[in-house]
Amino acid sequence: MWQMVGRRETGRLPPHKFRALLQKTRLYSIELAGHKEIASAHKSGVNSLQQIDATEARYLLSGAADGSVAVYDIEQATAYDHSTRTSKHEALFMVDKRVLNGHLYSVSCVHWYPIDTGIFVTGSFDNFVNVWDTNTTQVELQFNMSKKVYSLSMSTLATTHMLIATGTDDTRIRLCDIASGAFTHTLSGHRDSVWVVQWSTRSEWVLVSGGCDGAIRFWDIRRAGCYQILDQQCSQIGRRPPVLKKSSRTHGREDNLCTKYLNASSPIRQRGQKRSFGISAVDSRTAHYGSVAGLQMTADGLHMISAGTDSRLRLWDVESGCNTLVNYPSTYIRGNKGIQMAVTPDSSLVFTPSLNAILVYDVWSGHSYSSLRGHYDQVNCCAFHPQGQELYTGSNDRKILVWAPRRPIDIDNFDYEDAEQAIKADEDAWSD
Amino acid sequence: MSIWNYVVTAHKPTNVTHSCVGNFTGAQELNLIIAKCTRIEIHLLTPQGLQPMLDVPIYGRISTLELFKPQGEAQDFLFILTERYKFCVLQWDAEAGELVTRAMGDVSDRIGRPTDNGQIGIIDPDCRLIGLHLYDGLFKVIPIDSKGQLKEAFNIRLEELQVLDIKFLYGCSKPTIAVLFQDNRDARHVKTYEVLLKEKDFADGPWVQNNLDNGAGLLIPVPLPLGGVIIIGEQTIVYYNGFVFKAISIQPAITRAYGRVDADGSRYLLSDLTGMLHLLVITHEKDRVTGLKVERLGETSAASTISYLDNAVVYVGSSYGDSQLIKLNLQPDSKGSYVEVLESFVNLGPIVDFCVVDLERQGQGQVVTCSGAFKDGTLRIVRNGIGINEQASAELPGIKGMWSLRASSKDVYDTFLVVTFISETRILAINAEDELEETEIEGFDSDAQTLFCQNVLHDQLIQVTASSLRLVDAISRRQLNEWRAPPGLSINVAAASSSQVLLATGGGHLVYIEIGQRELIEVKHVKLEYEISCLDINPVGEDPDRSYLAVVGMWTDITARIFSLPNLELLTKHSLGGEIIPRSVLFCTFEGIPYLLCALGDGHLFNFILDVNTGQLSDRKKVSLGTQPITLRTFRSKNATHVFAASDRPTVIYSSNRKLLYSNVNLKEVNYMCPFNSASFPDSLAIGKEGELTIGTIDDIQKLHIRTVPLNEHARRIAHQEATRTFAICSAKYIPTVEDMETHFVRLLDDQTFENIASFQLDAYENGCSIISCSFTDDNNVYYCVGTGYAIPEESEPNKGRILVFLVEDGKLQLVAEKETKGAVYNLNAFNGKLLAAINHKIHLYKWTLRDDGTRELQSECGHHGHILALFVQSRGDFIVMGDLMKSISLLIYKPEEGAIEECARDYNANWMSAVEILDDDIYLGAENSFNLFTVRKNSDAATDEERSKLEVVGEYHLGEFVNRFRHGSLVMRLPDSETSQIPTVIFGTVNGVIGVIASLPQEQYMFLHKLQQNLVKVIKGVGGLSHEQWRSFSNERKTVDAKNFLDGDLIESFLDLSRSRMEEISTAMSVPVEELCKRVEELTRLH
Repeated sequence: MWQMVGRRETGRLPPHKFRALLQKTRLYSIELAGHKEIASAHKSGVNSLQQIDATEARYLLSGAADGSVAVYDIEQATAYDHSTRTSKHEALFMVDKRVLNGHLYSVSCVHWYPIDTGIFVTGSFDNFVNVWDTNTTQVELQFNMSKKVYSLSMSTLATTHMLIATGTDDTRIRLCDIASGAFTHTLSGHRDSVWVVQWSTRSEWVLVSGGCDGAIRFWDIRRAGCYQILDQQCSQIGRRPPVLKKSSRTHGREDNLCTKYLNASSPIRQRGQKRSFGISAVDSRTAHYGSVAGLQMTADGLHMISAGTDSRLRLWDVESGCNTLVNYPSTYIRGNKGIQMAVTPDSSLVFTPSLNAILVYDVWSGHSYSSLRGHYDQVNCCAFHPQGQELYTGSNDRKILVWAPRRPIDIDNFDYEDAEQAIKADEDAWSD
Repeated sequence: MSIWNYVVTAHKPTNVTHSCVGNFTGAQELNLIIAKCTRIEIHLLTPQGLQPMLDVPIYGRISTLELFKPQGEAQDFLFILTERYKFCVLQWDAEAGELVTRAMGDVSDRIGRPTDNGQIGIIDPDCRLIGLHLYDGLFKVIPIDSKGQLKEAFNIRLEELQVLDIKFLYGCSKPTIAVLFQDNRDARHVKTYEVLLKEKDFADGPWVQNNLDNGAGLLIPVPLPLGGVIIIGEQTIVYYNGFVFKAISIQPAITRAYGRVDADGSRYLLSDLTGMLHLLVITHEKDRVTGLKVERLGETSAASTISYLDNAVVYVGSSYGDSQLIKLNLQPDSKGSYVEVLESFVNLGPIVDFCVVDLERQGQGQVVTCSGAFKDGTLRIVRNGIGINEQASAELPGIKGMWSLRASSKDVYDTFLVVTFISETRILAINAEDELEETEIEGFDSDAQTLFCQNVLHDQLIQVTASSLRLVDAISRRQLNEWRAPPGLSINVAAASSSQVLLATGGGHLVYIEIGQRELIEVKHVKLEYEISCLDINPVGEDPDRSYLAVVGMWTDITARIFSLPNLELLTKHSLGGEIIPRSVLFCTFEGIPYLLCALGDGHLFNFILDVNTGQLSDRKKVSLGTQPITLRTFRSKNATHVFAASDRPTVIYSSNRKLLYSNVNLKEVNYMCPFNSASFPDSLAIGKEGELTIGTIDDIQKLHIRTVPLNEHARRIAHQEATRTFAICSAKYIPTVEDMETHFVRLLDDQTFENIASFQLDAYENGCSIISCSFTDDNNVYYCVGTGYAIPEESEPNKGRILVFLVEDGKLQLVAEKETKGAVYNLNAFNGKLLAAINHKIHLYKWTLRDDGTRELQSECGHHGHILALFVQSRGDFIVMGDLMKSISLLIYKPEEGAIEECARDYNANWMSAVEILDDDIYLGAENSFNLFTVRKNSDAATDEERSKLEVVGEYHLGEFVNRFRHGSLVMRLPDSETSQIPTVIFGTVNGVIGVIASLPQEQYMFLHKLQQNLVKVIKGVGGLSHEQWRSFSNERKTVDAKNFLDGDLIESFLDLSRSRMEEISTAMSVPVEELCKRVEELTRLH
């Protein structure tokens, strides 16, 4: 550490690299945070978490199976326990079915309005998508989806639209417009329920969805139909057209279904070519053998990780649509709804809920770094806080746990008492 | 201090990051272009050496500097890319002598992960495209068309994740890149791709080379006829071109820079981190490579860039030591080194730590920096102004003038020093014992005050007194001729060239006399309407012996008049305005430009550019140098002419970059000065002060004077102790033989001689992390406290350290007490007679207690934790301001009654800090990881607890420099009468060797300067069309916002360099007179 600071001082280590290295080393030591505790306000399992509000990265939003939604301040503690040195974060407020138009059944997904924390959006198994005003904690707008809502997403990039993409028990994906309160798009193509939808982190027009039919579809909302379906068999990553065999080049490309949309303006340049395949061949492609339970794009939008109920994680190269064949060992994903994974902003680690644990993998090699254990029941969701480098996880055991880089325990002479108390308190916590 | 801050550079960056050689300023001219992070310098290669042509700031941190020559162009273009994704292409306009922007643009993507390994910018050797690797997974292409125009950029997906280097290959029909990358299993490979411009995609390239040296980090493309690349690893060097594979193993070394020697690419210079220079030779038979050979040449500074110039002369640019111009000799010297250093260029970077001291106790601060790294570590003493080093002095009250004379015009050295008093003239000479002794020149009138004397043509001397002009033979020292003033009139002022004399007598008579052999010929006599106050005929034209112009300063109408010689026709009359008469006028030439300087009786100085042919004056500028009358005199130092302005604030006027600069001299008051270049005092000045005559040598003429104390080890921390007049440093000695093995010391240095008096060696792996000089309650001694940390290689964070308390006794470091800590002591602060230490993530307060046995120890009193890493701590009263590694600034308070430290407020932004300082009770300054500065304010009057617990961000600014340390203090003499002395300042030191000043201005002045800055931005365009506003906007990973409450002093002070017409443009826009603007800006320049 001191050496790294020294190397930064002399300019040998560029500051941005210093930061990246340090963040990485800290991440590898992530463990259950002893200094921070979220007092979950929910009476049943936590289904969805989000704290990446763009302005402050400070407020955590959680939705639970009892239909309640709560907001926590993760920066400023509501109470501080001096003996254990834990800061306790209680919910700033909680809304549930007692609120007018509040969700009656399990809240499956929550989302902050990407611009500020004045609005948040929730989706529930009661078929409704609610838009809430944070200040009044009232429902401002409701969309009746007429099927269970599994997933919703808002684009953090969008400057021209305010669309909530929803994945429901229906095969169709519908986009709800907050501005008008109406549905603007219906995207059909999936053959089964859609458990996950996510906007691309690269283009504000591109939406990705994963269904129980095992398909992951890419949609450009400016065009009709989906323009890409990921195929787990397509794995020729890195294949470039050979130099000399010009004739075979175009052929090879079509096989790979390489669609370019690095420029947001031309995402479906090669769509015409693809049509020639015939709908059925393309349509039958699957990304997983079971349902697609989770999707997470990396921050730069070049890669995507998907989780399926075939207990597989797959890393996709988004541009070419290729399966990179990275093996993430020993995941276990089953269930009847989607899960929320998290990828660190530098795309080095992915956190995947797997039964009672959260598995930590290196994104690129699939190497398993650790398995974070602490929940007593199935983990549903995780959310990563990039500034504090903290991971928040929600589970069926009703708890929200905080995972943070390890802090050195200090046992300086005048701290002995404190430390002993802390250890005692720790024991207490584990005894029940 | 206030929230309105003014940031200005006192010492420009000197860390050389890039360099290149090419025909930039002309098809036949060879230029060396150097990038110093935020500046570029253009040098011309001449047989005499490097000649600087241009030094300009760039509104960005340069990440790529490349020259390229599109087809059909005679000159190279310069491509610059900045770290904030702006690029520009510059061309040299030889007629105007300035840079012209050919193209500029922004290559940032909205989404993308910036590369960890730094930006890569490369240009195809056939100039078909510019390739950029800025974000992971993407390769950006800027196509260049056949006319050399840049086309719209596009991205190509690059699948390799960890790219280490990319280079274009030579001699490929399609542009082809070689990519050196690391895969998931940490193995390194090289892959080639063809860039398909039409398809906007890659095609697989001609070859792939897998599984290289694990330390491979550098690709060198080899030009035709050989082609291919050299891959430099830590243990091997490999050549590969798809067919031929050659490898050799080398001594383990991390190569950072290379330079191509021959155009055919068969020889390269390589430099590693230890500064060892190697020559890599590709042996070949015609076009077939047969092998590689490495030869060790010798040691230089650790290079960051190498440019081979010509004739075995190489420029070595360094980030860690002085940059050098070296010559490679054919034969090794006695130490076996082929390297001969021709010239060294001072580099202060990286300034890791510094302290501000007043060693000479003159009221002027000096900065002592820990500069350089590794073996190039030095201490540098940076002082503002020019020093006169006294050699001899004598008491001589009442001096009225001084001149030096040579015994014969053939002599190199001066022999006589003519000193005149109110009614006598004395002649001093150096005798055999090197002492000044009074002597006589027979022909001189020694009973009158001398007005002027000089060596003139035909080995003669002249002396002007009030009554006459005498011509004296230099050899016989007899009077040859005399010209007497007309009866009733006395000579008031006189000036002469080697062949001419111009006299002014009372009544406004101007007499022009030419000097012949043994005769004085009165050529012309005119009568002016007013009395003459001063005159000069110093030759500025091509003939050094003869002047064709004369300047005369007048009483009554306060004008400067230019006359032609010999017929004394009035060419120009320039009214100086005001009521103060000119007291000294002088023609002089700086850097080939003739100037007229005109000094007034109130310490102001005008300067004009002079047209030698017509006598016209232009570009009038006025500066204030002091408050008393000024006497101007030229002198020569290091083959350049400078002007000494003697007054109550003596100043040296010189020119750099075609701009007149004024530098203080470290003397209190000087009445007269003359150059005195004698055999025993070469290159000296004779200086007449009140009651004293001094002879001294002068430092190099530059604004900041830098003295170097080489340490040959890396100084990390420094502290000064006034009581013992010593410095203590924490340093690391790097032993190159053992891998990464360092020994750490605490060293005690004398603050005058900088000699190492005593050393204390730390334990193995123990690093000195912090040092202060402090005293404790109930103890009169002053101690050095050193905080250390044990950096055991396997541990990510030190968990053991010590605080050592030393007492300096008899020039020795006595360890008085030591205290073990559970972590590295990153920072120490004296805190109300106690010691405040930042240890890993905690802050501890220690008190100094007396044990029963009479010894003393540090006892822990209280602490505060909950930080990530408490790296930077400052305290003021009971308040503690802490800069966390990654959690911005927190404000803590020590509560003595409770014996506890509590947090009162913090800044919730996630800034990664690099330095903090307390500006005043409420305002704190921070520097962060992305080269920004910001200020936060304590909100103690806020209504709610929530607001009180928040430090409000009040100022934000992009400095573009990585600040390692802030310290209160000033580099300039604080004179009680000047306005600027009321302005509190903070000095900062950065990785690039910048020393800067942050001054807190009153609001009125800030508003005024802010308006000026806004107007200047419109007039002064950034090089390459880069935007000043964007450059100074606070920007890190999370946000980019406009700068606020900070002013760019470098921009504001460049107002003084503008031409008169542009100054007037700004003056009209601001509706403030030009003079007023100049005055206010000049006041600011005195801050540094």
